Amino acid sequence: MADNPGDDLERRIKDARARHASPQDTHKNRDDSGAMSSAFRAGTDLVAAVIVGGGLGFWADKVLGTKPLLMILMVFCGFAAGFLNIYRRETGQEFKIGFKNDRASGNDEKEE
Amino acid sequence: MSKGHSPLEQFAIKPIFPLQAGGFDISFTQSALFMILAVVATAALMTLGGKRRAMVPGRWQNVAEMFYEFVYGMAGDALGREARKFFPFIFSVFMIVLMGNLFGMLPYAFTYTSHIVVTGALALMVITVATAVGIAYHGLHFFSLFLPKGLPWMIAPLVILIEVISYLSRPLSLSVRLFANMVAGHTMLKVFAGFSVMMGAVFGMLPLVLNMALIGLELMIAFIQAYVFAILTCLYLKDGVELH
Repeated sequence: MADNPGDDLERRIKDARARHASPQDTHKNRDDSGAMSSAFRAGTDLVAAVIVGGGLGFWADKVLGTKPLLMILMVFCGFAAGFLNIYRRETGQEFKIGFKNDRASGNDEKEE
Repeated sequence: MSKGHSPLEQFAIKPIFPLQAGGFDISFTQSALFMILAVVATAALMTLGGKRRAMVPGRWQNVAEMFYEFVYGMAGDALGREARKFFPFIFSVFMIVLMGNLFGMLPYAFTYTSHIVVTGALALMVITVATAVGIAYHGLHFFSLFLPKGLPWMIAPLVILIEVISYLSRPLSLSVRLFANMVAGHTMLKVFAGFSVMMGAVFGMLPLVLNMALIGLELMIAFIQAYVFAILTCLYLKDGVELH
């Protein structure tokens, strides 16, 4: 007679713990979970990089007087940077600039 | 839709005390008012919440401790021992974004995080501080961040260019994400509220119910976006502090 309600409670506690533990603790999905937001993130990352690239090119053109050339080049570099952003994000090496500690999460200490 | 009922009307900046100085419009706007409210609310929450110092915290102390520990844990995860130095900065960024988002959820309130000027300025400040910290810690060696190790020299210029663009695009991406989330959420709420009005008392209940659910979602997004903003601040600082 005793075991049924106790079992139930235990199971529910376990379930609740599992539910609470999963999303927060991993750094993986920090924005929020769904595929929608992941897509949104990728979109902003790509567009931001293209805009920055294009803007830099535009500015450099203005300074150097090479009207469309640098901007065209820099927009392509912006695309590259944008895809690099997305690639880094999706492979979980978020926001690392440079390839230095790609694997094993940076056990090679800094050298100066 | 008639004038004044556009879902974007809520984002208009209206001056409270019009003020001109040196050709610039420096009016005290409702945006500024809510920023001040956010700062006052944060300061009040933290000082009043921390005043009692009870062993068993009361409600306000509990909230204050919760925020503190949440941000401290986040900073500690990213920055390790260095977290203590940057904690005030990270906490301020977190609270100003969170309070902006949460104040925006009140009826008739203005959401200052729905303006890219505000989020952009915040993100620029964050990236400037992170870069300054990197230079302060490592000097000019900091810029080796952009040069991957073991890179053939022939493609180095290209890769450095791409890395620099990638670095500079981060504040833009960060600010756009916060601002777009806020604008989208508040516009959606207003659109559904407009449906409620248009569909009358009976059928109007349907969008109203949906709106209630959306408000819950918006509250969640308010927290998540503040969290994202703060954790990205941590990660940018980490780049500057650690520099492998």
